[in-house]
Amino acid sequence: MIHTFITSFRLRNTYKVNTFIYALKSVPGLRKLLPDKLYQNRGLKIIGNIISILLEIVNIFLGKFLYIFLMIFSMMSIYKTNPSATFLHILIFLTIIGALMNTYMFNPTKDKYYAMFIMRMDAKKYALSDYFYAILKVIIGFLPFTLLFGLLTGVNIWHCLLIPLFVASAKISIAAYNLYLYNEKGIVINENNPVKHVWLLILIFLALAYGLPALNVIVPPIVSPIIMILTILISIVAIKYIFKFNKYREMYKKVLTGVTVNVTTSANQIAKDTVLKQISIDKKLTSNKKGFAYFNDLFIKRHSKLLLKSAKKVAMISAIVIGIVILIITMNQELKQEINNIIMTYLPYFVFIMYLINRGESITRAMFMNSDHSMLTYAFYRKPTSILNLFKERLKSIILINLLPASIIGIGLSLILYASGGTDNNLNYLIIFISIIAMSIFFSVHHLVIYYLLQPYNINSETKNTTYTIVNILTYVVCYYMIDLRLPTFYFGLATIVFACFYSVISLLLIYRLAPKTFKIRV
Amino acid sequence: MKLEILNLKKTFGNKEVLKGINFTFESGKIYGLLGRNGAGKTTFFNCLNDDIKAEEGEFNITYEDHTRPLSIEDIGYVLSTPTVPEFLTGREFLKFFLEINEGKLKEVKEIDEYFDFMKIDKEDRDKLLKDYSHGMKNKMQMLINIIANPNILLLDEPLTSLDVVVAEEMKDMLRSIKENHIIIFSTHIMDLALSLCDEIVILKGGNLTLIDDLLKGKELQQKILEILKEEE
Repeated sequence: MIHTFITSFRLRNTYKVNTFIYALKSVPGLRKLLPDKLYQNRGLKIIGNIISILLEIVNIFLGKFLYIFLMIFSMMSIYKTNPSATFLHILIFLTIIGALMNTYMFNPTKDKYYAMFIMRMDAKKYALSDYFYAILKVIIGFLPFTLLFGLLTGVNIWHCLLIPLFVASAKISIAAYNLYLYNEKGIVINENNPVKHVWLLILIFLALAYGLPALNVIVPPIVSPIIMILTILISIVAIKYIFKFNKYREMYKKVLTGVTVNVTTSANQIAKDTVLKQISIDKKLTSNKKGFAYFNDLFIKRHSKLLLKSAKKVAMISAIVIGIVILIITMNQELKQEINNIIMTYLPYFVFIMYLINRGESITRAMFMNSDHSMLTYAFYRKPTSILNLFKERLKSIILINLLPASIIGIGLSLILYASGGTDNNLNYLIIFISIIAMSIFFSVHHLVIYYLLQPYNINSETKNTTYTIVNILTYVVCYYMIDLRLPTFYFGLATIVFACFYSVISLLLIYRLAPKTFKIRV
Repeated sequence: MKLEILNLKKTFGNKEVLKGINFTFESGKIYGLLGRNGAGKTTFFNCLNDDIKAEEGEFNITYEDHTRPLSIEDIGYVLSTPTVPEFLTGREFLKFFLEINEGKLKEVKEIDEYFDFMKIDKEDRDKLLKDYSHGMKNKMQMLINIIANPNILLLDEPLTSLDVVVAEEMKDMLRSIKENHIIIFSTHIMDLALSLCDEIVILKGGNLTLIDDLLKGKELQQKILEILKEEE
């Protein structure tokens, strides 16, 4: 078993390292410098190995830290119940949810597929070594944080030590039960695709975890350790069953040949299928337009789930939120001044919000997968005039669709400003409205322009362009940074409007000159 | 009309895939392009279709009285995995295509006539292309490329996934349009190449070789195998 474990670990590591080198090679500029022989380079392999081990360590601890900190520790302050008992209460219920959703054993990963079916390793040995390694990581990963946050909330140190074992036991017990279900009833579990009643259970336990403490009801401090010890005892039986179970190969064949692992393209295939599913089959959706306008019109209409409907949803939610804020202002005079101040200084925050609600990125992905991916193989579609014509049509639609929620938000903010006491300078109303519209147009233009200039996908819809990824990350970082920026709305708004106009003009010029050359399928 | 390829070179990393190809294809003929796996057939097509930039090389179209550089509109590229816009129906795709190319196409016919020509059933014409079978998508792709009437048709393993009936239909169709066209047909199936093509071209060691067309039958097969098996 140790041998199987080492082999599988090395296998996993090999492709992790190769992925690292591959990523390195796709950084613009580095590609030409780095030869193909790189994959044989010992030094680089060692660096890759070190990185891969570091990532594994981060992977062991980071998630557990975030989980305990965000989902449990930081929630403590809102309840009035005994902190240590509440800590254990929430933890117990969340652990059950975790055990249901995150079994490790039923997670259909590529690793498992490669090892068991392509490399033909012994399925049972592989499954067991892989599984208990995952369980070991759970125990090691949880220990420091259950100790840290447990002690901080006043949980008995013995209980803190018990928690990691409890979490692992809960997972083991559920996994064994799922194996039992397969053995007796032939039910195949795919944890990424829980069935309805599992979702229901999850919701119930969520409500129990966070709802009960709000009602001053929690699991009594004496009962919590009993639950934990009982679970650990049950898991002993469960471990025996897991070792006894003998149908790993046939079970994994079913788990892995399901939706999630496709032999050839895996993740990309799923992404593609999801995007394909977005096509509305409603035949009544037709268009009276001609040529590229016709083509684009049908595209937009048949993808309304992705485009118009989601924009409408955002617009509606925004309208409701704005309505609530205005209601609060009229009811609570104290908040009035505060909200007025917020409106006058928080405009940068809305850059991030406008970024989040802009559908540009998913629209361009759908454009590629459901349309350009195939159309770019036709010469008539790749003619410079065709590319620019369709670009124009698309730009119009994307801007229009995104304008719907944007104008609601723009008007809403101006209304809130008015309701909260108004402003000395009436221009502010206009500036707020126009700057929100400008942000919306900016993001619409931005997403479409980088798609046309950097067309990042190859024929299998894999992203082949690191520059594209970097630009996207940068966009996110810049928008995120805006959250912390406090600037007078008037000047920031004005700057936004000028910038958006400037950016749009420059990028449209670039498109006009470059897109006919850049807009093609990556080979 | 002739397609003239001059000194086409393409390298990936240190690997020279196309080593200065000089070759002339003539209209009225179907060329069967054979080569071992990795010989560079797709790279060759991709260079012609301007999907990848070659390091060196020139493509010209020569007529009896003049010569001009190749442009993308000269080329129709049919891939083995059919590519069609999934969100349109067959009819809509054709309508869009005809509108875009209005004025450029000779003798435009009714949409249904095209479907009849391609033997696409009446009830399939208004279905979304995403619900078409592989073979039907292939027919659509081929149909568009035939109506576009490019001077050169590049076909990358286009018949291998079709059922025998459709494959025969396609072969007849290719034969019927070969006048005035240069058709280059890449395949791994020797029988197909021999039964359909007028000339056999072998891509090997980064160069194209035309097989002597005096050879026939078994002799020809032997010769092709010999060339393919030779060490580089």
